[in-house]
Amino acid sequence: MCEVKLSDIHFSYNTNVAIDNISLTISQGDFVAVVGPNGAGKSTMLKIIAGLIKPTRGQVQIGGKDIFTAKGHGLIGYVPQNYGKNAQGFPATVKEVVALGLTLGAAAAKKNHQAANHITTHMMELVGVEQLRDRRIGELSGGQQQRVMVAMALAANPQLLLLDEPTSGIDYDASARIYELLGTLNKNLGITIVMVSHDIEKAVSWANKVACINRKLCFFGSSKEFDDTHAQARHLWYYTGQ
Amino acid sequence: MEFFQYDFIQRALLAGLITGIVCPLIGSFVVVRRQSLIGDGLGHIAFAGVTGGYMVGLYPVVGALILTIAGAVGIELVRRRHTEFADMGLAIFFYAGAAMAIIFSTMTRMPSTGLLSFLFGSIITVSLTDVITIAGAGTLVLVIVYFLFDKLMLMSLDEDIANVAGINTGMINMLFSILTALVVVVGMTIVGILLVSALMIVPVATAHLLRVGFKATMGWAVIFSMLSVFIGLTSSFYLDIAPGGTIVMTAILLYIIMTIIRQCIAFKERRKEQILSSFGDE
Ligand SMILES: Nc1ncnc2c1ncn2[C@@H]1O[C@H](COP(=O)(O)OP(=O)(O)OP(=O)(O)O)[C@@H](O)[C@H]1O
Ligand SMILES: [Mg+2]
Repeated sequence: MCEVKLSDIHFSYNTNVAIDNISLTISQGDFVAVVGPNGAGKSTMLKIIAGLIKPTRGQVQIGGKDIFTAKGHGLIGYVPQNYGKNAQGFPATVKEVVALGLTLGAAAAKKNHQAANHITTHMMELVGVEQLRDRRIGELSGGQQQRVMVAMALAANPQLLLLDEPTSGIDYDASARIYELLGTLNKNLGITIVMVSHDIEKAVSWANKVACINRKLCFFGSSKEFDDTHAQARHLWYYTGQ
Repeated sequence: MEFFQYDFIQRALLAGLITGIVCPLIGSFVVVRRQSLIGDGLGHIAFAGVTGGYMVGLYPVVGALILTIAGAVGIELVRRRHTEFADMGLAIFFYAGAAMAIIFSTMTRMPSTGLLSFLFGSIITVSLTDVITIAGAGTLVLVIVYFLFDKLMLMSLDEDIANVAGINTGMINMLFSILTALVVVVGMTIVGILLVSALMIVPVATAHLLRVGFKATMGWAVIFSMLSVFIGLTSSFYLDIAPGGTIVMTAILLYIIMTIIRQCIAFKERRKEQILSSFGDE
């Protein structure tokens, strides 16, 4: 019911074509790693799936409904590439920010104070920020802020989770933990995940599908197939898009 | 105290305290949305509304309300085009308001005492009707902020996340902008157009010094603001000086005091650490 279907998506910023004719279908329960060089259009595609920008051509459907009608039931969680635009100096504590996630979801937990507290604490533990709970988010390091944003998205209990480089700027241990967490959420709860990452090896090892983008869709298939057939070609397309 | 026996003081205090609550409430969001100048921008538009209203024979506050709300809608529409330069759009409206006010006021020859009461506030002369109107507007602001609190907070942090979650960010931004206009017009009657923005920003700045969470910052801002109104109004009465200015100066004084207290605490903590570490060395 959370199948994501992109048909003939085309997008340009003024005259600059960012996405050229991409069609693909992400099934319920998939974990898709989106990879590609800087400026390839990964963030743009994620924003199109999220319904933040309207494609110049083509359509996005989530669970058979147009994205702009599907959006708005707490179904989709989104972690932007540059976590909280105004996060610098933002006065909210980590706990306050993670708890905000609860109010986004369709979950009834927000009505029950105790349950809300419990979930908030659990999410903070999952991403390893519970010892920072009373610190203000604006006074954390970039990686710490990123983790808080992931925890907030998770607290909303989304069925489709869109993450734009959630592990960039995050140290080795914490990023391993985030991959593991996403893998667990995907396997145990069946949450569909679409994640942009530059850490190809790790992302591909956790994902079951890979989408390579460089304006056009260069490859879309299982991560096993990607590993097998593209081992050598990978570096080539990564830098040339061929 | 004889002070509280005067009817006009009771009314002034009531109107002032209500304004003292709603200004920093809106101001808390305004500051984190990087729109600290919005009160000034809307204030100048309100002034154009006062003079323009007078020109066409409207009750000045009504004129101010109409034009300020129109300005708030305009500010929000411009902000959507320049999300990364929120303050640039505000500046444009600031100048537009000031320019219109100058044109209207020279066209109408509104008596300068009337003009001054809007520029400098007229807290001492608020009528019972004024108090009731202010209380009504204040309640409206309070109720809307209460119900939209989480959404406003998330949108201040990251509008995209809110948008994806299905929050109608366009509608809420517009509503917030209009609420700000309402607060500016209310504040105009109390501390005056020139200083209304100060009540929205200064208590919030003082609360930020405490480095507590979002809700706590907002709570403290309201406390600092109400303290400023109370102390400012009382001392202006005994010193026989302008209440609007005294209220804002009190708010700024609180900011300075809080900065000094923070410095002292930081200094003491550093000393304590130094002493402890020198013991550790031996
Ligand atoms: N707001 C914008 N206005 C104009 N052009 C843009 C804008 N955002 C992105 N672009 C252009 O669109 C193209 C795709 O950008 P996008 O951000 O989607 O790349 P990306 O794959 O996410 O890159 P990165 O790995 O650096 O995050 C780039 O050429 C970029 O210059
Ligand atoms: Mg990107």
